[in-house]
Amino acid sequence: MTDSNGDGKLEVKQASKEVKESENVAEKYSAMTVKNTDMNVGELSAAFTAVPTLKSVKKQIQFANQEDKQEFSKFPTKAGRRSLSRSISQSSTDSYSSAASYTDSSDDESSPREKNQANTKGNSDFCVKNIKQAEFGRREIEIAEQDMSALMALRKRAQGEKPLAGAKIVGCTHITAQTAVLVETLVALGAQCRWTACNIYSTQNEVAAALAESGVAVFAWKGESEDDFWWCIDRCVNTEGWQANMILDDGGDLTHWVYKKYPNVFKKTQGIVEESVTGVHRLYQLSKAGKLCVPAMNVNDSVTKQKFDNLYCCRESILDGLKRTTDVMFGGKQVVVCGYGEVGKGCCMALKALGAIVCITEIDPICALQGCMDGFRVVKLNEVIRSMDMVITCTGNKNVVSREQLDRMKNGCIVCNMGHSNTEIDVASLRTPELTWERVRSQVDHVIWPDGKRVILLAEGRLLNLSCSTVPSFVLSITATTQALALIELYNAPEGRYKQDVYLLPKKMDEYVASLHLPNFDAHLTELSDEQAKYMGLNKNGPFKPNYYRY
Amino acid sequence: MSVQVVAGKMAEVELKDVPTKDLSPISPKSVEKEGIKTEPSSAVSAAASPTAEPSPNPTKMPQASAMKRPDQQQNGGEAFVNQDGTVAEAPRMKKIQFADQKQEFNKRPSKIGRRSLSRSISQSSTDSYSSDSSDDETSPRDKQQKNSKGSADFCIKNIKQADFGRREIEIAEQEMPALMALRKRAQGEKPLAGAKIVGCTHITAQTAVLMETLAALGAQCRWAACNIYSTQNEVAAALAEGGFSVFAWKGESEDDFWWCIDRCVNLEGWQPNMILDDGGDLTHWIYKKYPNMFKKIKGIVEESVTGVHRLYQLSKAGKLCVPAMNVNDSVTKQKFDNLYCCRESILDGLKRTTDVMFGGKQVVVCGYGEVGKGCSAALKAMGSIVYVTEIDPICALQACMDGFRLVKLSEVIRQVDIVITCTGNKNVVVREYLDRMKNGCIVCNMGHSNTEIDVASLRTPELTWERVRSQVDHVIWPDGKRIVLLAEGRLLNLSCSTVPTFVLSITATTQALALIELYNAPEGRYKQDVYLLPKKMDEYVASLHLPTFDAHLTELTDEQAKYLGLNKNGPFKPNYYRY
Repeated sequence: MTDSNGDGKLEVKQASKEVKESENVAEKYSAMTVKNTDMNVGELSAAFTAVPTLKSVKKQIQFANQEDKQEFSKFPTKAGRRSLSRSISQSSTDSYSSAASYTDSSDDESSPREKNQANTKGNSDFCVKNIKQAEFGRREIEIAEQDMSALMALRKRAQGEKPLAGAKIVGCTHITAQTAVLVETLVALGAQCRWTACNIYSTQNEVAAALAESGVAVFAWKGESEDDFWWCIDRCVNTEGWQANMILDDGGDLTHWVYKKYPNVFKKTQGIVEESVTGVHRLYQLSKAGKLCVPAMNVNDSVTKQKFDNLYCCRESILDGLKRTTDVMFGGKQVVVCGYGEVGKGCCMALKALGAIVCITEIDPICALQGCMDGFRVVKLNEVIRSMDMVITCTGNKNVVSREQLDRMKNGCIVCNMGHSNTEIDVASLRTPELTWERVRSQVDHVIWPDGKRVILLAEGRLLNLSCSTVPSFVLSITATTQALALIELYNAPEGRYKQDVYLLPKKMDEYVASLHLPNFDAHLTELSDEQAKYMGLNKNGPFKPNYYRY
Repeated sequence: MSVQVVAGKMAEVELKDVPTKDLSPISPKSVEKEGIKTEPSSAVSAAASPTAEPSPNPTKMPQASAMKRPDQQQNGGEAFVNQDGTVAEAPRMKKIQFADQKQEFNKRPSKIGRRSLSRSISQSSTDSYSSDSSDDETSPRDKQQKNSKGSADFCIKNIKQADFGRREIEIAEQEMPALMALRKRAQGEKPLAGAKIVGCTHITAQTAVLMETLAALGAQCRWAACNIYSTQNEVAAALAEGGFSVFAWKGESEDDFWWCIDRCVNLEGWQPNMILDDGGDLTHWIYKKYPNMFKKIKGIVEESVTGVHRLYQLSKAGKLCVPAMNVNDSVTKQKFDNLYCCRESILDGLKRTTDVMFGGKQVVVCGYGEVGKGCSAALKAMGSIVYVTEIDPICALQACMDGFRLVKLSEVIRQVDIVITCTGNKNVVVREYLDRMKNGCIVCNMGHSNTEIDVASLRTPELTWERVRSQVDHVIWPDGKRIVLLAEGRLLNLSCSTVPTFVLSITATTQALALIELYNAPEGRYKQDVYLLPKKMDEYVASLHLPTFDAHLTELTDEQAKYLGLNKNGPFKPNYYRY
C-alpha cells in the first residue's frame, strides 16, 4: 500500500507469508479467515486499483503518485451495492488507505522504533507509526462501534460489575478498528491492556494511534519487519512492574514467545484465549506434551464462530468473489464444489439459489449423504470435469484439482479456491512453458493452452474469499464478543474449574454471544415459563442443549 | 369422492371411538413423567421421542414400549381410516364395532391408502393379516405350532402365513440395499460367528431383513416384540419358518408381552451374549430376573431415546455391568429421523389432512432444532412466509441467518394461517393463543408427544368440537371462529404421515454395525459404560447408503491423506465436528 504500483510486490510478500503459514497451519481453513482478514483489505483495494491503473496508469503513477493514490483510496467508497456492514468496513479501509497516503506524503521513512512519541497525556509507553493520526483513528473506531452492537451491549451491561477488574491482558491480534472496539470494551470492563499485532501487514496505523492516545500500550504498525514483529511482542510482555495475567492470542506467536522467553509469566497467568486454528493446534500439541501450564480456551471452535466464519460467510462471499472477479452469471451454469463441509454447504446453497446446477465431491460418507439429501449429485471430479463451467474447492486438502484435471477442463472454465491456503489447486503445475499466463485483471489470470483453451484461475489459487471479497464486521463482532466472554470466563472462574488443558467455550457463553447479536435482526427470543423449564429440566437462562448437540 | 363416502361412514366409528379417546388423557400423564426425564436429550428430536403417542389403550401398553414406530403403526391405523378411500372397507368397519377395541386397532392400519412406497409395503402386509378374518381367537400361547423343519421353538399367530411374510421380507430387502450390501460384504468373514443375540424390537419386514442379515453374518437370534401392537404376524411367521425363535404376535396383552420376552431369554442350554433392545424392556427384564446372564454378555445395543435414558441412569448408578452402545444418537440416524424425515412429512401430513395450499401462507414454526429446521425449509420452499420462535439464542441466530423472522408467538398469533410446534416442550400453544388465532388457523404438533398444544384446555363446554375427518377436528368458538386441530395435538408425522423404509434402513444398518463392533471389540476397549457409535461405523453406515443415490465418493490419495493426517478410510472428522 505504501507503493501503489507495488501491487505485485505486495502479493509476493503475502504469498510468502501464506506459505509460511501453511506449514504450521492446521488443516482447517477457518484460521485463515481470521488471520488473513485484514491482509485481504490490502489485497482487495489492490484489486480495485489494479483494474483502472494496472497497465496504462502505471507510468503515470510515477509523476501523479499523489492523485493516483487519492483515487485509489476513494475507489472503494464508490462501490455501490454493498450490505451495510460491508460498506462500513469498506469505508474504513477507505479512510485507512487515505491515512496511508497521509503517512506516505510526509515521506516518513524512519522506523517507529526510533521515534519518540508521547500521547497528549504525556504517556509514551507505546510504539505506533504516528500518534498524530489518533483523531482519525478514533473516527474509524466509532464507525466500527456502530457495527458491533453486541460488543457495545456487553460493554454497557457489564460496565457496572467490572468483571475484568484487575485483569492484565496482553494481546496479540490484528489491530483494526474492530479490535480496537474489543480492546476498549475490555478496558471498560476493568482490564489493563497491552497490545501487539499478530500480522506484519494488517495493522491500521491510525487505529493503533487512537488506541495509544487513549492510554492502551500498543506496539504495532503496518509493514513491520520480522525483527520488528518480535520486538513488539517483547515490548508488550516485558515491562517492569507489570505482569500479564491473561493472554489473548491469535496464531500462538505471543504464547510461544512468553513460553520461550518468560516462562515465569505463566505462574501468574490465569489463562490463554486463542482464536486461530494454528494457535489452537499449537496449544493442543503443548497440552499433549504435558507442557501447557495454564488453562487455555479454544474460541475458534465455538458454535457461533464456526458457523459464521464458514457457513454464513462463505455463502455470501462465494457469489461476491466470483462476481467481482469475473462478472459471471450463475443461472444454469454447471458447478462442481469439492468438499461438503461448512464451507462447501454454504457455497452450494448460494449457487443453487441462483439457479446453478451444482454437484459435489466428498470423501466423508456422512457429508456425502448430507449432500445427497440436500439435492446435490455426489460425483468424482474426474467424471464431470469436462462439462463444468466452474470448479470450486473447499476441502482443506491439497492437490484436489490436479494438472491432469485442468488439462481436461473446457474452455472458459473458472477455477477458484474457497478452502485452505493455496494448496488445493495445483497451481505450480500450470507454470510450464507451454502454457501462457495472461493477467486480465488483478486476481484474475487466463491460463492459455497451446490449442487456445483458456482456464480462468482466480487469485492464483489462493483463498477467493480473502483475496476477492471481504469479511463483514458482523462476523468480526461475533469473534470479538466470543473472545471477550472467554476472557471474562477464564478470569472469573473459581479456582480449579479449569485445569491445565485446552477448553472449548462453555455452551452458556456461546449462547450469550448469540443472544447479544439477536437484536441486529430485530429477533425476539421466546422465554421459557417456569413450568416449561421444569418440564424440560432446563435452567431458564440456558444452557439449552447438551454438549454433543450438533446444531 | 370415495373418501367422502368413507368419511361419512367414519362418523359412526368415530363415535365408537370416543370412549377410547377419553382414555387418552390418562396416558399422557404417565408419558409425561417419563417425558420429563427423557426430554433433555430428546428436546428437539421429535420423531425420536419414544414416549410419543398416548396409546389408546394406555393401561395395556407397557410404558416403555410406547416406542416410535409402534405408535406410528397404531396411529397409522387411527389416522388413515378416512384416507384410504376404498369403499370396500366400510363393511369391515361395522364388524369392528362389536369386535373388541384392540382388534379394531389391529385391523385399522390395514386400510391405508396413498402412501409412500415403503410404507405401503408394510401396510399391505398388515392388511393381509387382518384380511384373514379367520376369527382366530385362541391365544398363540395356547397353540402348538411347528415349522416345516419340525422346530417348535417359537410362538406366533399362525405359521401358515410364512409364505406371505417371505414375500414381504423380499420386498423390504429391495428397499434396504445397504443392509443387503453389508450382508454380502461381510458374509465371508462371518463377523458375528458365535454371537447369540437376543433382540426385542418391532417385528416388521425391515426387522426381518436385519435379523436375517445378522444370521447371515453368523449370529444365532432369538427375538421378541418391543411393542404389543406393532408385530407383523406374517413376517413373524416367515421368520419362525426360517428357523428363528420368534415370540411375538400382534395384539399381545401385557402379560403376553413379558411372557414372550421371558421365553426369548430363558432357555436351557442357550445363553445370549449380545442384546439388541428398543425401549429397554428386554434389558430391564434380564437385569431383574436373570442378572447372572450379564456375566456372559458382551454388550447391549439400544436404539430408542427411552432405552438410552434408562441405560444412562443405570450407568450413573454404577449398576451397568456390560458395555452399551447408544445408536440413537449416531449422526446419520439423528439427521434422518429428524431433519430429513420431518422436512418431508410436514408437507405430507398437512396435505393429507387439510389439503391446504402453502404458497403465501403465513406459518409460525415453534422451535428451530433439527425438526424445526426441516419444517421451515420445506415450507419456505413451497412459498410460505415462515416465522420462527425459539428459546435457544444459538438456534435463534441460525434461524435469522437462514432468513426467517424470529418472533414471539404472541406477536404473530393473530395473523398466522398455520401454527406448527416442534419444541419438545409442553404448553407451547396455550388456550390464550388459541383464543386469539384467526378463523381457519391450522394447529399441529411435530415435536414431542401430545404436550406441546394444550388440547385439554379446549375441552370446555363453550367450544364445539366437530370431527371433519379422522385426525382433523374443527374446534368452534361461540362466535363461529374455527380452529383446525390436527391429530388432537399428537405427533402429526406419526399420525398423518409415514416413515420411509430408507430411514428404517439407516437404523437397522446402524444396529447391525453396533452389534458387530461390540462383539468384535478387543477386550477392554469398551468398559461398563454407554458409548456412542464410533465415528468410523457411522461413516460406514452412510457409505452403505450412498449407492442408493448413485453417489460416487471420492477417495483420498496417499499424498492427500498424509497431508491431512487422516487414514484413507476414515474416520474423517474429529469427534466434536457438528456436520
